[in-house]
Amino acid sequence: TMLPLLLLLLPVAHGIVELGYTPVLTKSPSLGGLRTASTFVLDQPRCVFDEYGNADIWLVVALDQAASTFNNTARPGTPETAFQSFPDPVSAYMTLNATLANYPCPKPAGDITVLRVGSETSCAEDAERPTCNGPLPGPGPYRVKFLALQGSEPVAETSWSAPIMLRTAKSPSSISTTSKGHSAGMIAITTILSILFAILLAGLVAMLFFWGSDSCGSSSTFSKPESVTVRRYNTHH
Amino acid sequence: MAKSEDCVHILQGLLVFGNVVIGMCGIALTAECIYFVSNPHGLYPLLKATENNDIYAAAWIGIFVGLALFALSILGIIGVIKGSRTLLLVYIILMLITFAFEMASCITAATHQDSVTPELFLKQMLERYQKSEPANNNDNEVTKTWDELMVQNHCCGVLGPSDWQEYTSAFRLTHSDADYPWPQKCCVLDAQGLPVNLDGCKLGVPGYYNSNGCYDAISGPVNRHAWGVAWFGFAILCWTFCVLLGTMFYWSGIEY
Repeated sequence: TMLPLLLLLLPVAHGIVELGYTPVLTKSPSLGGLRTASTFVLDQPRCVFDEYGNADIWLVVALDQAASTFNNTARPGTPETAFQSFPDPVSAYMTLNATLANYPCPKPAGDITVLRVGSETSCAEDAERPTCNGPLPGPGPYRVKFLALQGSEPVAETSWSAPIMLRTAKSPSSISTTSKGHSAGMIAITTILSILFAILLAGLVAMLFFWGSDSCGSSSTFSKPESVTVRRYNTHH
Repeated sequence: MAKSEDCVHILQGLLVFGNVVIGMCGIALTAECIYFVSNPHGLYPLLKATENNDIYAAAWIGIFVGLALFALSILGIIGVIKGSRTLLLVYIILMLITFAFEMASCITAATHQDSVTPELFLKQMLERYQKSEPANNNDNEVTKTWDELMVQNHCCGVLGPSDWQEYTSAFRLTHSDADYPWPQKCCVLDAQGLPVNLDGCKLGVPGYYNSNGCYDAISGPVNRHAWGVAWFGFAILCWTFCVLLGTMFYWSGIEY
């Protein structure tokens, strides 16, 4: 029982206020690029840090398993929280520095207020920019929280977010392009045309076979449009 | 005998009528196939890249079959009116050859229609669009065709922009995921061809990027094309069958 009491006292002893806000992925409007392979989009923490007008509000991005061991006394812009060393050996980095002026309250209706984590590609390799908002190196899962620092002392923090999993891309060779079989229309066309062609060939053969033969007396059915010559037998001689 | 004379005239009349119809249908088939071969929707490079351009072979055969049908129908009319056995025999044999070719064309077009699936175009798009070292000119053509398709039809990918997220691609090798979740041609473009709002496009805000896929824009024309060649050809062949049977019957009744 002493341990939980001690843990409860710890944040109070350090003077950090636990704000009841949990960072979330943006729900409205529905974004097509909410989670990509290396970025994700958070709602801005509007109307959360209203009492901390003088503080710098930082975003802490941590690996899921390192969230519980993150020390709030970590300073931004140091090698221990540099983006360029994330995820190994640094397991949580701090980025997206802002003040209350960047997050005015209340949020104007119709405005899209989001933070895109991972959008800065120009400083991803630049060790002189340890607070770079660079693209995330893997699919995660990650957890984030906002931390308000006054001077360099932490004064308020939000809760850790739920674990955020990014997308993993498959290889295009996994797409199967085998055809799903033949449609009824194609089978109908093939069968009917084959039968018709067979009948015609049979008819041609029958036609040629009976060429010249008086089959069924039909040779005299149609007559050529020629005049019929009449032979006269002259019986007188 | 008057009755058999009437019979002959009726049969001759029917055969002439049948041949006239065949001639007109032959011209119509030629015209339709020339239209398809002229590639009105610019989709030929995509079909060629998927090695699925049998439909064009079927259309080319259709052009020549149509002309042959027209010529043979004239021969048939002359043969029927003159009552000449040789002419009609030549007519019947040549018509059978044309029948066989048109049959091949119809079956090819119908079979090809079955093989047009989204997966086919998806795989080809992922492997070839914006390939950095194009193996041959085909890859450049594929990229150009897709760009035009996406811009003109306001669409992205085959099933949607998520195609570029779900699969790795040749495009992804040269364009990082954070800067280009999908190609810039998927963004809503202004008159100069530049994205109206690049950040909105990258985020995927509705209204700044094209969220629907291009498959309908591809499969619509291709299927109409295949249908036109296959089923119109089938109808012509059924009619030709009847006319040929009548001609054979007429031929076997001619005195020589």
